Amino acid sequence: MIEKIKKILSECGINRWRINEVEEESAELFFVKHQLDTRRIKDTHKFVVTVVRESEKDGKKLSGSMGANIIASMTEQEIKAEIESAYYAAQFAMNPDYDAPEKETSECVCKKNELTEKPLAESAGKMAAAIFSADTNEHAYINSTEVFCHRYFKRVVSSNGTDVSFTDAVCKGDYVVQCKEPEDVELINQYQYDDVNVDAIKEGVKEYLDYAYDRARAQKTLKSGKYDVVICADNLAEIMTYYTEKSAADMIYPHYSSWNIGDDVQNDAKKDKVDLTLVATAPFSSDGIRMKDLQIIKDGKLTAIHGSTPFCRYLGLKPTGNFSKTRCDNQGSETFEDMKKKPCLVAVTFSDFQTDAMSGHFGGEIRLAYLVEDGKITPVTGGSVNGNLIEAQQNVVFSQDRYVSAGYEGPYAAKFENVSVAGVE
Amino acid sequence: MFEKLDIVKPALKNLVSELRKKYAYASVLAVQDDSRAWRINRAGKRINNVGLGGGSGYVVRVFDQIGCAEYSFNEFSEEKIPEIVKTIDERIAHQTANVPGGIKPLPTPIPSDETATLKKVSGYTIDPRELGDEKILERLDAIRNKTLSVDGVLDAMVSVSYRKFRKLFISENRDLDQTVMWTNGAIVALALRGEEVKDAYKGFSQLGGAEILDRMEEFATEVANKAIELLSSEQMIPGEYDCICDPDTTGMIVHEAFGHGVEMDIFVKDRALAASFIDERVASDLVTMHDGNAVDDSATMWFDDEGTLTSDTVVINGGILKKGMCDALSAARLGVKPTGNGRRESYERKVYTRMTNTYFEGAAQNVTLDEMIASIKYGFLLESPSSGMEDPKNWGIQCMVTTAREIKDGKLTGKIFSPIVLTGYVPDLLKSVSMMSGQLVTCGSGYCGKGYKEWVKVSDGGPYMKARIRLG
Repeated sequence: MIEKIKKILSECGINRWRINEVEEESAELFFVKHQLDTRRIKDTHKFVVTVVRESEKDGKKLSGSMGANIIASMTEQEIKAEIESAYYAAQFAMNPDYDAPEKETSECVCKKNELTEKPLAESAGKMAAAIFSADTNEHAYINSTEVFCHRYFKRVVSSNGTDVSFTDAVCKGDYVVQCKEPEDVELINQYQYDDVNVDAIKEGVKEYLDYAYDRARAQKTLKSGKYDVVICADNLAEIMTYYTEKSAADMIYPHYSSWNIGDDVQNDAKKDKVDLTLVATAPFSSDGIRMKDLQIIKDGKLTAIHGSTPFCRYLGLKPTGNFSKTRCDNQGSETFEDMKKKPCLVAVTFSDFQTDAMSGHFGGEIRLAYLVEDGKITPVTGGSVNGNLIEAQQNVVFSQDRYVSAGYEGPYAAKFENVSVAGVE
Repeated sequence: MFEKLDIVKPALKNLVSELRKKYAYASVLAVQDDSRAWRINRAGKRINNVGLGGGSGYVVRVFDQIGCAEYSFNEFSEEKIPEIVKTIDERIAHQTANVPGGIKPLPTPIPSDETATLKKVSGYTIDPRELGDEKILERLDAIRNKTLSVDGVLDAMVSVSYRKFRKLFISENRDLDQTVMWTNGAIVALALRGEEVKDAYKGFSQLGGAEILDRMEEFATEVANKAIELLSSEQMIPGEYDCICDPDTTGMIVHEAFGHGVEMDIFVKDRALAASFIDERVASDLVTMHDGNAVDDSATMWFDDEGTLTSDTVVINGGILKKGMCDALSAARLGVKPTGNGRRESYERKVYTRMTNTYFEGAAQNVTLDEMIASIKYGFLLESPSSGMEDPKNWGIQCMVTTAREIKDGKLTGKIFSPIVLTGYVPDLLKSVSMMSGQLVTCGSGYCGKGYKEWVKVSDGGPYMKARIRLG
């Protein structure tokens, strides 16, 4: 198919292009309580052909690009029509020209683990079994769960001679946990792993079953005011997106972020200084760049800018490709248990916790938090956290306890001082 | 366009016939997709056609002795029928064999397959493809320049996108065919306050084509001025206040706070507090809530992704919860009629009960916004919702809006607070609704997730609405 597309590109007189091939297989299981709801399987095979058209204005080189969606069953005539349409459109989206990434060639980099090698139906069944085996809490139980196992073959071929390919796999889904007494409540949690990870999913389910019980007996008594707020696990990962987005070339180039390499981006922090690394989770980016881990912040200072080819080139930087995992390298200055010994609000689950990199705002409605006050720990629910990282990052303390998920690795918790909380009374 | 589906339709019927020889039920949904998005901001001009509807492909549904099973794929022809049937036979059986021990099937009667035939095409004034990339980008450039002409605006991002799709649903007794086009637009103005970038957003949507660009032009200056106003915004003092929600904020409350809680697939899971409130009061007399095809917006369709014909569902009537929205499988499990709300993110994903166009009716007596403001001693006018999250089990509210305009002694003071988190208990808020304006406005410029995934096009809205709301 790739050869067929290359031939059509040549016939159309297009000499700058990239082909992204993705072949995907999935096995999916859906459960309600301990009953099987639906079984699903999937096989798809897609090609996106990105064509680049060159131009010149006032002595400056320009280029515009557009993608065409192709599938193998299309006739040559249909493929040609899609590609020509994209090439025609590209002339109207001209931007400063940029050099393509360096040429890369490689044999297929095949990921070897249980998820990539065993039938997906077996992996999905094994993950489902792990989820149900952890459903042993005296008070709370699994309400429903979904298991998705996906396997990919990806290939990138471009007009500059790049030809790389690799395999990948992901196991993801969610579980809803419920506790009926003293109040009927639920919590939902998403998970994602790059292999069959029975131990991690069991641990996650057990933790959430405990949370559900705590939410069922939580007090709706949180008062409005300023609190030292502890943010945990995936919500802490969400806060870290402030740093990854502000250091991205596509934010810096249009001046949405004013960060420069060497800047103290944490504004003279009084406590822990952030160390952040972007982690390569695939051997190649979608534009064929060989991916390597990249440290972007050290001691609160920006050490690197990252991003896709055009924006990195516009800033005069070597393109890094786009990353999907962040590692916070801070080892923490106190344990999570020690954090809970001083007055604070440990917010463990929100309805939807969000960080806005543009404004620095972070917050969400509290589904479950633990209020540490006068030496007592009280589960509370309701109310909302409404903070701004531009100020809050100056007094942050990371926990020594670690947390790992598909998109984040680092401290389990971080304490931010003096954050505004809207209570329920 | 979309003639390919006419070519493969006889083969799709043959596939269903072949599957029916082995399975108690078989259907196929075929989707052919065409989409394009144009965007201009300081980072440049972009045109792309990826990610607006999931692309073109097929999904087969069968019922075996265990229950429902599905196979999604994107390569199909008459010659591939034996291979597809074999894949379904073997891989679904293998999957069933790997289901953990002790797990029984969820009892599911096979949904009704009553005879239905339909062919519908949505209308438009200007076909974006005919208007062309060059003209569309020129229009966006003009809107952007108008937005940038307001002093203090750092940048403006303007975009427009459309999705045109044709769906065929074929089962033993159903032959349904619809072609729908919606178009969306957005203007975002950015302004700088120290390290903070404040942004004002206005979304546009319609069932139709590029005529949406005319409406966008009218709002360019307003969006820019809002971004500048945000530079002097203050942090909200947490508390419960008399509030007026603009139609977009009303829409977010309708959708996030209440709508998700009456998606009846969660009734099957015992996840919905609403299930125990049918025929009970959940809102003030002023509140009547609809979902479905009684209005034309981005989520209008004539049949859903399970081949159920759509309708107008009255969810709340005069404050009383009447019924929820339901997909076909959940309806079969609950013993009720499906409402045409079985929707997939794409042919690659499972069906869930999903909202479509969801809104509160405008009031019969047309109260004006000025009259509503005049009725408030101290409170806020809430504008520009940014996000929300459902809590169907506990009816907790989490909605965020960008702007709260202070009202004192019946007048806007000019003071602005931002950003704002709305919290509280859904029935408390809805029962506190004391005034509604007459005009219904819907907007479908966004996508809705179920939990944290499964993004589908929806619209929501309502009139201006006065209620008591906890802000933080």
